Amino acid sequence: MFGKKEYQPGLGQDKEGTRSLLEADEGQVYQIVEIKGGPGLSRRLMALGFHRGDLITLDVEAIMNGPVLVKNLTNDTRIALGRGIARKILVKPASKNE
Amino acid sequence: MSERNPEIVFVGQPNSGKSTLFNALAGFKAQTSNFPGTTVTHTHSQVIWKGRVYSIIDLPGTYSLTPHEPQEKVVLTHIFKEKPDLIVNVVDASLLCRSLELTVELLELEYPMIVVLNMMDLAEKKGLVIDTAGLEKRLGVPVVKSVAIRGQGTKELMDCLEEVLEGRKKPSAIKYSSEVEKRIKRTEEMLPSDFPVVANRRFTAIKAIEAETLAVDRFFLENNREFKEKLDQIRRELSSLREAPAYEVIMAERHHLALKIFEECCRVRHARVSLLEKFDNLIMHPVLGLFILLLVFASLFYLIFKVGSPLEAWLLKPWEAWRLGIQERFGSKLLAELLSGLIQGIGGGVAIVFPYFIPLLLLMGFLEDVGYLARAGFLLDAFMHRFGLHGKSVPLFIIGFGCNVPAIMATRILESKRDRLVTALLIPFVPCAARTTIILALVAFLLGPWWALGFYFLNLMVIAIVSSILSRIFKYSSPGLILEIPSLKWPSLRNIAQKTFFHLKEFIRFAWPILIAGSVFLSFLSFLGFDRPVNLILSPLVSGLLGLPESLGVTLIFGFLRKELSLLMMFQALGVSYDQLLGVISRAQLLTFVAFVNFFIPCLSTLAVIWKELGRKIALLSMTLNLTVAFLVSWLIRIIFSLF
Repeated sequence: MFGKKEYQPGLGQDKEGTRSLLEADEGQVYQIVEIKGGPGLSRRLMALGFHRGDLITLDVEAIMNGPVLVKNLTNDTRIALGRGIARKILVKPASKNE
Repeated sequence: MSERNPEIVFVGQPNSGKSTLFNALAGFKAQTSNFPGTTVTHTHSQVIWKGRVYSIIDLPGTYSLTPHEPQEKVVLTHIFKEKPDLIVNVVDASLLCRSLELTVELLELEYPMIVVLNMMDLAEKKGLVIDTAGLEKRLGVPVVKSVAIRGQGTKELMDCLEEVLEGRKKPSAIKYSSEVEKRIKRTEEMLPSDFPVVANRRFTAIKAIEAETLAVDRFFLENNREFKEKLDQIRRELSSLREAPAYEVIMAERHHLALKIFEECCRVRHARVSLLEKFDNLIMHPVLGLFILLLVFASLFYLIFKVGSPLEAWLLKPWEAWRLGIQERFGSKLLAELLSGLIQGIGGGVAIVFPYFIPLLLLMGFLEDVGYLARAGFLLDAFMHRFGLHGKSVPLFIIGFGCNVPAIMATRILESKRDRLVTALLIPFVPCAARTTIILALVAFLLGPWWALGFYFLNLMVIAIVSSILSRIFKYSSPGLILEIPSLKWPSLRNIAQKTFFHLKEFIRFAWPILIAGSVFLSFLSFLGFDRPVNLILSPLVSGLLGLPESLGVTLIFGFLRKELSLLMMFQALGVSYDQLLGVISRAQLLTFVAFVNFFIPCLSTLAVIWKELGRKIALLSMTLNLTVAFLVSWLIRIIFSLF
């Protein structure tokens, strides 16, 4: 919304529309494809209820390169993620029947 | 059953209301709030129910049984070492789906267990219809509904406890998919005979597989290479099943079990967007939210001042009249001096506690329990990055405005050691309720509210500057923000009142007696003329460097115990009453002194907690840092004022 989105070379969309969470549009429903980064991060996110395959949506994006607020539609929880972390979460648009 | 009292542990995810439930059972003991990570060590209580004593232990919140954060390790150590008779798994019913992941993991322990569906009211509001009987059947353990903040469900829980303990019925773990289960079975069979089995063989095997990438794994390698190789083989097999690391496969199994159970036992009636959610969107708005945040805190302090200031004046009057009456009647005899010291001590306490301390604690408690703190963390994350920290520290600083001690303990929620250190070093600079009170009582009352506001701003600037410096010294390697945002909820007023009372009791029990005794003691010293040597020793510092009256030196000694005492004893030391103060010292001197005391070494309890949590070196570092800043800032104030 405010502030520009950083472009990440090599992380652009592929034909399925896979992109990093940072490049997701607010309000759209996405599915988590992969959590990149070390085991520490994926363990933590999984413990907080964010798993591969979960449906999520980007609620709010803070200004000044601030964090993003992500809502997990699968289990109805919300977490704030810093940009560095949001960049490591790959999502693709959820198909209608999911 | 054995002779000792049955031991019951409360386990649940952060912010599921374990402590609230615990308090509802045990009377007020534990700290609670709507912020994950309030309980950092365990709290113990004895509860008598139908003539039988139960030991109940409230453990810190944990998302899973694989330790990530220090407080999660507390849970694990406790469960494995103490071998509780019963686990009470407290679940936030409104987050049932996610919470069930921990429930499934706890069932793997196969200890006697009860599941408490707490916050049922919230779940109903969200449109969740939970089939409790179905859930009981599926999990194989009793399920009790509760709304802990209103004390609902406590009787049912106690009855259920009694029943389960009598029956000693152990649940059995819910099985994963057969492909995964096969590999677990194989791991179970190959566990070496000297392998430390916790809870049961299956649980131990699962944890061994999950230990991949954790420190324990290295231990396996060093001690039993053959086992480690076989274990890795199983991990590879699991990994190729799902194209994910083995630990992720196991966690995903639990996730899917939780989803399945949730779908079987729970219906979601699609609730419309509630008013609360709309309000939440407003306060979380990236721009508007920041304004609201500013407004909330500005009005908080304005309100406290507006209420406190006239009340303070009114409360001070009778004590002052008494003191003058005594002086008139007895002159300057020892008894009269002591009596007036006593009155000043009592009066000072009354004039602080009622007008400022109580309202501040009540309002802070409200913000905490509503769930605003985590939101402030989200909104200020970007801002905090400029000073080398991130948003997760914000709630800790805000808790620090209430009292520094719990704020320092709660630094455990920070994943990175470096963030924890920097935050813990900064928290003593946050003016706690007692210090805010003094700023309001002295600066706002004597110089006007704008001065107090300015002083507050200066305080925040100092924190920002110190933070920038610290983050240059301790290089930035923070993993970034991961912060759960709990749902907004209407807090229980009883809970807030209890929390306020808890802090108030501490003040009355600890600070006030010292204040009174100190005040009397100072009168005695000055009567004998003993305060002079102390003042003389501190004189180069007090009057030389800071340009303050020499007689203030002795009050600094009390500042070691609690900072606000120094300020309160100022009157006693200068021998004047409250409203005459500005006749004796100048505005600049008052500000210099307030600044010095405000940033002076952390109070005794804060220092003790830093020592305990982060070690002696850090405690000493914190002391040095605070003293340096105190000198610098108050000296600067003196210089600036002497220029105008």
